[in-house]
Amino acid sequence: MDISTVIAGTRFDNPVFLASGIVDETLKSVERAIKSGAGAAVTKSIGKDERPGYAPPIISELPTGMINAVGLANPGIDDFIDEFRTSKLKEKIVVSIFGKDSEEFLELAKRVQEVGFKTVELNLSCPHVKGYGSEVGEDPDLVEEIITELKNKTNLKVWAKLTPNVTHIVDIAKAAEGADALVLINTVKAIGVNIWARKFSLTNGIGGYSGPGIKPIALRAVYDVYRETGKEIIGVGGITSYEDAIEFILLGAKAVQVGTAIYYKDFQIFNEISQGIINYLEKEGFENLQEIIGLMVR
Amino acid sequence: MKFSEIASAKKIGKDFFELSFSIDSEVKPGQFLMIWVPGVKEIPMSVSNLKNPITISFKAIGETTRKLSTMREGQRIFYRGPYGNTFPEPKGRAAYVAGGTGIASLLPLIRIHPGDVYYGLRTAEDIVYGEIVNFVSTDDGTLGFKGNVVDLFIKEDKEYDEVFVCGPEPMMKYFHDKIDRRKYGKIYYSLERLMKCGVGICDSCSINGFRVCKDGTVFEHEQLDMMDEFGTVRRAESGRRIFLK
Ligand SMILES: Cc1cc2nc3c(=O)[nH]c(=O)nc-3n(C[C@H](O)[C@H](O)[C@H](O)COP(=O)(O)O)c2cc1C
Ligand code: FES
Repeated sequence: MDISTVIAGTRFDNPVFLASGIVDETLKSVERAIKSGAGAAVTKSIGKDERPGYAPPIISELPTGMINAVGLANPGIDDFIDEFRTSKLKEKIVVSIFGKDSEEFLELAKRVQEVGFKTVELNLSCPHVKGYGSEVGEDPDLVEEIITELKNKTNLKVWAKLTPNVTHIVDIAKAAEGADALVLINTVKAIGVNIWARKFSLTNGIGGYSGPGIKPIALRAVYDVYRETGKEIIGVGGITSYEDAIEFILLGAKAVQVGTAIYYKDFQIFNEISQGIINYLEKEGFENLQEIIGLMVR
Repeated sequence: MKFSEIASAKKIGKDFFELSFSIDSEVKPGQFLMIWVPGVKEIPMSVSNLKNPITISFKAIGETTRKLSTMREGQRIFYRGPYGNTFPEPKGRAAYVAGGTGIASLLPLIRIHPGDVYYGLRTAEDIVYGEIVNFVSTDDGTLGFKGNVVDLFIKEDKEYDEVFVCGPEPMMKYFHDKIDRRKYGKIYYSLERLMKCGVGICDSCSINGFRVCKDGTVFEHEQLDMMDEFGTVRRAESGRRIFLK
């Protein structure tokens, strides 16, 4: 059964990818995800300068997922390049980058391109760091400018990862129309409270909600954006099983990313979902994955 | 995040403390808890006594452990876990090789299955759990063998079916590289690294793709053979590599 998928002209063996920020700060972990069956793996978001991130607690476990405020911890582009440049799996590694303006994004993208990576994912959506992520991604003009800059001045495939924390995600998606693909969604802005300590659950107070609880929100975003823009979409948010993945695909996603599911099922999640998709397609009488992409939206 | 009331708080040595409290799940040898001090930080801590009320043993060296050391009976302690894999139960002649606070994670096994305990310290006044220690070394020679515990272990030259090692990474690396592997059956190491999430998703504790919090903390000697970052590359809070040699 062929479950390969093509995103912006790039073919991936299977449509189950590792999402940015989950076991992907170190090269060996990223490669482990790929060797465990991920069709591609997105790195932790990398910025220009080193950031230690917030002090723990950086995650708070919930019955329906978790809230995190890692704080864009990253080694900075220099050390990142130094570590990742040696990888033989670059075709399957997508580098997530974040910056405060188009200049920073461009500088990062050029560095990534220089060492042979083919695709970047723009983090326009982290909900818990001032001046970055969703603060950039909520501004349609800035989103458009960043993407135009990168498309004009690099040869990279550009995936734009959007935030659900806006009134009209379709407006942002339209501003990001120049991107090769859209990644929907990043975490949902959230707060956790510990009543016995009378403190926020996370050091940063505000965090991002991920895991099964946000799946319906992500599905809605994928559906609306696919219907309104017809863009190539990668669905992410609360996927922990093949059934979840197929829901996204039926609504228009060409691939999915899994993050928090690693916490529930560890690295075997990739093969589990791929195998589940294969069985589903066979059982339901489809010839390949392509046949069900966007099936419910036509 | 759960919480419990502290059943007892003791100072057992220089800057060394024990807190005991009951928890609602079973802890196995080698496992750890994430302990949260509201307003300060959350840190991993191995469990030194597994039966309720369980015990954590620590040196007050950082902001969080210093705050913990001021906590008293009846106060709330916040935790999540237990997390991590476990030491297998020893079956034969066992040796325990600890450096500094590394003794804490070996204590449950030592109680279940007594064996030779080697303990390395900086100086005599750092001694804790002296009653269970068979061989002691100090860096300055103020107690026992002068030098490090690995050299002491090698000098004693005994044979063991199982060896359990826990201490600072440079000490474990030295042990790993220096000992005559053929003299011992299985060798297990409990690793310590910076940990932010404790549940295998943040990658801050990873060594060559092995997460100390989830794939460990316990690794076999032969697994460490495959980790060229063990003892040579540390990670800053940002994930930046810090080369040790
Ligand atoms: C601990 C953690 C760290 C994350 N870090 C990033 C990040 O650096 N960049 C990014 O674009 N998304 C980040 N995300 C968001 C995920 O990539 C994903 O969009 C979100 O978690 C929803 O998917 P999930 O429910 O499968 O986890 C992070 C999520 C988590 C849980
Ligand atoms: S502490 Fe987060 S992966 Fe180990």
